[in-house]
Amino acid sequence: MLNRALTAATLVASLALACAAPLATAQSQTPIRIGIITDRVGPAKPYAEPVTLGAVFAAREINAKGGVLGRPIELQIEDDQGRPDISATMARKLVDAGAVMIVSLSLSTATQQAQTVSLETKTPHFTPSNSGDTLTTQIANPWFWQSGPLGSAQVATLLSYARARNLKRVALITETSALGQMTARSFREALQRNQIEIVAEEVVPGGATTAEPQMQKIRAANPEALFMAGVVTPENVLMLRAYRQLGLKMPILASYNMSVPVYSSVAKGLLDGIAFVDAFDPARPEAKRFSEAFRKDSGTEPYNLHGYGYDGIYLVADAIRRAGSTDKDKIREAMQATRGFVGVMGAQGSTYGFADGRRTGFDTNGMVVRVYEQDQQGRVVHTGSR
Amino acid sequence: MKSLLQAALVIAILSAIGFLLGPYHTDIYRKLLLWIALALSYNFLFGVAGQVAFSHFTFYGVGAYAIVILVTQAGLPLPLAATAGIVLCVLLALAVAIPATRLDGFYLALATLALAQLFIVFLNEGGELTGGSGGLTSYRLPDVGGITLSGPRYTVVIVLLVTFTWILLARIDQSWFGRACRAVRDNPQAAAAMGIDVARTRVIAYALTSALAGLAGMVYAFVDNTVSPPIFGLENAFLLLFMVIIGGSGSQIGSVIGATVLYLLPFVLSPLIGHHHALVFGVVMLLVILAQPRGLTGLWAARPWRSR
Amino acid sequence: MQDLIELLISATAGGCIYALFALSYLVVLRPTGVINFAVGDWGTVAAFGGFLALSEAALPWPIGMAFVIIAAFGLGWLTERIAVRPLVERGAPVLAPILALLGMLVIFREAVSVAFGPDPRPIPQPFGYGRIEFGLLAASYQSIFIIGITASVFVGAWYFFERTLAGRSFEAVALDRRAAALMGINLRRVTSFAFGAGASIAALAALLLTPNTSAHYLMGIPLAIQGFTALVIGGVGRTEGALVGGIILALAEQLTMRYVPIAPGLVQGVPLLLLIIFLLVRPTGLLAARGASA
Repeated sequence: MLNRALTAATLVASLALACAAPLATAQSQTPIRIGIITDRVGPAKPYAEPVTLGAVFAAREINAKGGVLGRPIELQIEDDQGRPDISATMARKLVDAGAVMIVSLSLSTATQQAQTVSLETKTPHFTPSNSGDTLTTQIANPWFWQSGPLGSAQVATLLSYARARNLKRVALITETSALGQMTARSFREALQRNQIEIVAEEVVPGGATTAEPQMQKIRAANPEALFMAGVVTPENVLMLRAYRQLGLKMPILASYNMSVPVYSSVAKGLLDGIAFVDAFDPARPEAKRFSEAFRKDSGTEPYNLHGYGYDGIYLVADAIRRAGSTDKDKIREAMQATRGFVGVMGAQGSTYGFADGRRTGFDTNGMVVRVYEQDQQGRVVHTGSR
Repeated sequence: MKSLLQAALVIAILSAIGFLLGPYHTDIYRKLLLWIALALSYNFLFGVAGQVAFSHFTFYGVGAYAIVILVTQAGLPLPLAATAGIVLCVLLALAVAIPATRLDGFYLALATLALAQLFIVFLNEGGELTGGSGGLTSYRLPDVGGITLSGPRYTVVIVLLVTFTWILLARIDQSWFGRACRAVRDNPQAAAAMGIDVARTRVIAYALTSALAGLAGMVYAFVDNTVSPPIFGLENAFLLLFMVIIGGSGSQIGSVIGATVLYLLPFVLSPLIGHHHALVFGVVMLLVILAQPRGLTGLWAARPWRSR
Repeated sequence: MQDLIELLISATAGGCIYALFALSYLVVLRPTGVINFAVGDWGTVAAFGGFLALSEAALPWPIGMAFVIIAAFGLGWLTERIAVRPLVERGAPVLAPILALLGMLVIFREAVSVAFGPDPRPIPQPFGYGRIEFGLLAASYQSIFIIGITASVFVGAWYFFERTLAGRSFEAVALDRRAAALMGINLRRVTSFAFGAGASIAALAALLLTPNTSAHYLMGIPLAIQGFTALVIGGVGRTEGALVGGIILALAEQLTMRYVPIAPGLVQGVPLLLLIIFLLVRPTGLLAARGASA
C-alpha cells in the first residue's frame, strides 16, 4: 500500500517538475516586462477582454514611439480564468518572470487575492479597471494602486446630478455578484450619508429568469428614483424588462456598467431616459484621438473599456519613465508621485493622480453622467460630483 | 516499522521538492497537493462509499473560514481553534448526513448541491463575520512552538496533510469498514442482510470524509492568507468529481493522477493555445471517458504488454 | 391584488421554462436511464442559433424558431452519437455517459464562447413589451405566449407517452431494455429520438427565455440545475410531474422574493432550503409513478 504511495509521490514529483518550465533564463536586457492578469474564460471575460485589447494597443503605440527609457515594453499576459486563487498563482508567475509591474484586469476579488502576492514580493501592482472600493482598504498594501472609477465616486456623481431633484426616498437594486454587492454597498453608504431614505432594496439572483417580484416590491414602495448597482448584463436586462413590463416611471440612475455598449443591442427599447455614470466623454480631445488611432489600427470601434486598459499602460509607462529605472522601489515611489496625468478617460479636464498618499487615482470629479436617448448613449449632461 | 519508514521517505521527498522550487512553482505545487488531499477524501466518499455528494467544497470552506474566524475574531490559540474547527465540520456533517441517509443516488446529489449553494449565500450575507463577498484577508498563521511556518516550511505542513490523508484512507479502505462501505455501495439490501448497519455506515463515511475536507480547508486558509466565497463555489465541486472519475473512482492512486492531470492541464495548455484551453479541456475529458470509462487507472490496468 | 395575479402569471411562465428543461431531462432519462446535465447548454447553443436566425438573419419568428428547433434535434442526435452510444454499447457503467455528457457541456459552452465572443447577444421579442390589463388580470404577452406553448408541448408529450405506440415503446425500454429489444423495439432509434427530442425541447425553452435575458455563454448551468430541481420536485414517474415541479419551483422562488420580509440577499436561500426540506420529506417527488417507477 505504501509502495503505491511512493509511486504516487514520485509521479506527483516528476509531473510537478516537468511542468516547471525553465525560468526566464538569460533574460535579454532590452525589453521591460509588464505583467497582465486577465480573464479569458471566466465571468469577467466580457469586460476583461476589451480592457486587455486597449492595453495591448497602448503598448504597441508606446513601442512605436521608442518605448520607455529607450527600451521596448513587453506585455506578458496570463489568464486567471476568473478564479481568485489562480490569480494569485499567476501573480507569482509574473514576479518570477521578472515583471516590474503587475496589471490586474480580472475580477475585483481576483485582484484582491493577487495583492497577497504583490505585498509579499514587494512588486508594484495596479488595476486600471476594477471599481471595488475595498481593494485599497481591505489590505494595507503600499505596492497597490487602483485607477478604476470607484463605486463611491460613481454614486457621488449621480447624486450630484440629481441634486436639483431633491430626492428623499429612493430604491436600490443589484444582483449577487461580488462587484454588484460591493457597488451596492457604496451606493447605500452614500445615500445614507446624504440622508436619503432607501425605501426598497432588492437583489436579483444570478441565473434568475425574471425580476418581476423585485420590481413589484419597488413599485409598491413608490420611490422617487431607482438606483441600479448591478454589473452583470443578463440580470440588468431582466431588471429593465421588468421595469418596463410593470409600467414603472421613476427615473433610473445607473452605475458605470450601463455604459457598456452591449446594452444597446440586448436591451433595445428599454434604455430611453436612463442616466448612467461613465468615465468616457467622447467629446474630450484625447478620447477622440484615441478612438481614431485605435480604429485605424484594428478596424474596430473602441469604447470606454478599451480606454481603461489604454490609460493603464500609459500610466505605468509614465511612472517607469519618471523612476528612471526598472527598480521596483523607484517605480513604487514614482507611481505614488503621479499627479495630473492626462489620459483618455474622464471628464474634460480631469486627470489621474495619487495625491496625499492615497492609492486610488481616478479623479472623484472626473466622471460624467450621460443619458440614453432611444437606444443610443447620449451626450454628457453633467460632470463631476460637487 | 517498514511502513513508517516508507511514510517518512515519501514525506521527505515531497517536502524536499518544496524547498527546491521557486515561488511560482511552489504555489502551484502547494495548491496541487491540496487538491490531491481533497481528491483522496472525495474518492473515498464517491468511489468507495458510493455517495454522490457536491458538498465537499462546502466543508473545505467551513474548515477554512472556521479557523480564520476562530483565530482572528475569537482569539483562540491555534491548536484549540483547529480542534474546534474539526468538531464543527463533524457536527455539520452529521447534521447533513443523518437525515440524508434516506436519500440515495441523485437525490443526495441534489440536496448537497443545494447545501453548497446555501453555504455561498451564507458567506455572502455573513457581514462582519465572514467578510461578505470580499472575504477575509490580512491575517497570518500564528507561530507554532516558536517557529514561523511560512514559505517552504508551510509546504511541509501541506505534505503532512496529504500523507496523513492517504495513509488514513488507505488503512480504512482495507479494513472491514471499507468493505462495509463497498458492500453498501454495491447492494444496500444485501449488505443489510449481512448485518451491516447501512445508515450508520453511510453517516460515518460522510462525516469522516467531510471532516478531512475541513482539515484540508484549514491548511488552505494560510496558503494565500485569503478566504473568499468564489474559492469554495460549485464549479470546483464539479472539477473535483471529474478528477476522481478520470483518475479512476475507488482507486487512491487514481485520484492522485486525476487531480494532478486536471489541475495542471490548464496551466500547460494556456501558453500553447491561449484562451481556447477550456475547450480542449472538455474534449480531453470526453475522450478519456470514451476511451476508458474506468478512467486512467483502467487504461493502465488494461495495458496490453502486461504479463497477466 | 392585481400584483399577486400578475406575479402568479409571471411565475407560471417562469415555471414553464423550468418545466420544459425538466421535460428535456425526462425524455432522455426514460428510455436510457441517463441524466443529461448538458440540457442547459443545449439551450445555450440553441439561444445563439436563435440569435443568428432571428437577430442577424432577421427571419420572422415562427420560421426562425422552427429552424432552430429542427437544428437542435440534429444536435441532440449528434450528442447521443458521440457521447452516449459508444459507451452504452460497450456496457459501460451508467455513470459513464453522464460524465461524458458533462464533458459535452463544457465543449458546447466553450465552443459558443469561442465562436461568438464573450458578450451577451440579443434575441428579439416576439411580442414586444405589450401587456394585457383587464380588471384584476395583468400579464405580459410574452408570459401568456410561454404558458400557451408549454401547455401545448406538455399535452403533446403526454399524448405521445400515454396514447401512441411509439411513446409506449419508450416506457417499455425504460422498464426493461433487454425485454424491449426482444420484443422488436429498435433501441438505437428510440435512444436517438429521445436525445433529439430532448434537445428540441431544451431549444424551445431557451428561445422562450432569452428574449428576456439575452443569450450568454454562461447561461447553461443555472438552467440545468433549475430544470433538475423541477424534475425532482415533480417526480420522474409521470410526464406531468415536470410541469408541476417547474411551476412549484418558480412559485416558491418568486412568491418568497415578493412577500417574505427578510434581507434581500437571504431570499435566494429560501428556495434552496425548501428544496432540501422537500427532499428529506418526499424524495420521490410529488406525483407518484403509475405502476412501476422509472
